[in-house]
Amino acid sequence: MRSASDRSVFRRDNALFALCVVLSLVMLARPDWGGKVTGLIRGSVLRPFLSIQEWAESSRSARVALGQLRAERDSAVHAAQFLHSLRAENERLRALIGLGHRLKTEFIPADVLHQALPTDGRTLLLSAGAKDGVREFDVVVAPEGLLGVVQTVESGQSIAMTWAHPEFRASAFAQPGEVFGVVAPALQIAGTEHLLQLRGVAIRDSLPVGTLILTSGLGGVFPPGIPVGTVIGPASDETGWELVYLLRPAAFPGAGSQVLILRGGTPSGVSGAFRQERTP
Amino acid sequence: MSGPRDRGRLWAVIAFLVVLHFALRPRLGASQIAPDFLFLALMLYAIRSRPGSAALAGFIVGLVGDAMVPARIGAGALAHTVVGFLAAWGRAVFFPDNLFVNGVAIAVGVWARNAIQLLASGGGTGGLMEQLFVYAPLQALLTALTGAVVLVVFQRWLDIRLET
Repeated sequence: MRSASDRSVFRRDNALFALCVVLSLVMLARPDWGGKVTGLIRGSVLRPFLSIQEWAESSRSARVALGQLRAERDSAVHAAQFLHSLRAENERLRALIGLGHRLKTEFIPADVLHQALPTDGRTLLLSAGAKDGVREFDVVVAPEGLLGVVQTVESGQSIAMTWAHPEFRASAFAQPGEVFGVVAPALQIAGTEHLLQLRGVAIRDSLPVGTLILTSGLGGVFPPGIPVGTVIGPASDETGWELVYLLRPAAFPGAGSQVLILRGGTPSGVSGAFRQERTP
Repeated sequence: MSGPRDRGRLWAVIAFLVVLHFALRPRLGASQIAPDFLFLALMLYAIRSRPGSAALAGFIVGLVGDAMVPARIGAGALAHTVVGFLAAWGRAVFFPDNLFVNGVAIAVGVWARNAIQLLASGGGTGGLMEQLFVYAPLQALLTALTGAVVLVVFQRWLDIRLET
């Protein structure tokens, strides 16, 4: 039998647990309240730790560059055997630099501060913020194509909502052709591949497998001409009044640690810049 | 572990893990499966504390996670609160000072955290099953192995007599 003091401690433990659960549920129900609290945490307690992570990401990139120099100096076989991941990272950096040269619009390079949580990739914490010139609704791209859009901007960091976020939407069109639709994430339970959907395609239209889907520029957030993905087939959840196609995304939020943030993209500044990075 | 000196050592280990999380983890790459040092710090604290304190610590760690990945704010706080609370209860009920059992507890904790957070966050594009049965177990395994190393290295500081 528990003593009175034991029961009191037991009750206090349960009350504290219940309070924490209730607060969590309140934040789930009211994301605007939770957003204010987490914004405060990012701007105060977390700031020095995120600086450490930013430094770690930067030094990782530097290590990657050093690895490339070594790879060029050493034999190709040795490099291929032992520095494969460094080479891949370098290829990506070079592609990003190449994309930067071709973009006619202003852009800001940023490191992605990946986190340990399973939902990392639906949003990305970026190392560039308001002091670097980042603004809300700036578009985030990788060398391969569209990643997402800046959702929250703080002094030294910003948060991008990627195409993997359940609330992501972008107007898009098929190339070649005049088929338009809305791109959204393909939410799935049993699948093993990250996929997108092109929704709202007219019944009379059809898209062959391999068709490249680009942003259309409608809506004013995403400039036209950024690759979103390629058609891999019709989705099973067709509604009867529209066609839905599954897309293999052009760029993956979890793949790289560097991105470009486009500032106020102009129609002529982006289309064509991604020509060489199209997904086959 | 009850004296101020012991508590101080526990906090030193936790601070070390927090620094590792931000300074070392990004260098490891493969962020989906790399060990979660922040969660490891929570587990070390939870299995040495009252369930209420562990729940509060879990809530704070979860909130910090939500601040860094605000895909669905509150999901991380909920997941860490539940896992912290259960870890503290579990320690009271069945955790012996056994390295394997500690490792299993950490691994189960990581998996449960990921499962609760994913379910509370809603559907994802990569497939829930893949997240739960491919990435979460790999991250759980790597975090448990890291936890085992931390326990062995700091066993005197953490005041435990580990059996293997």
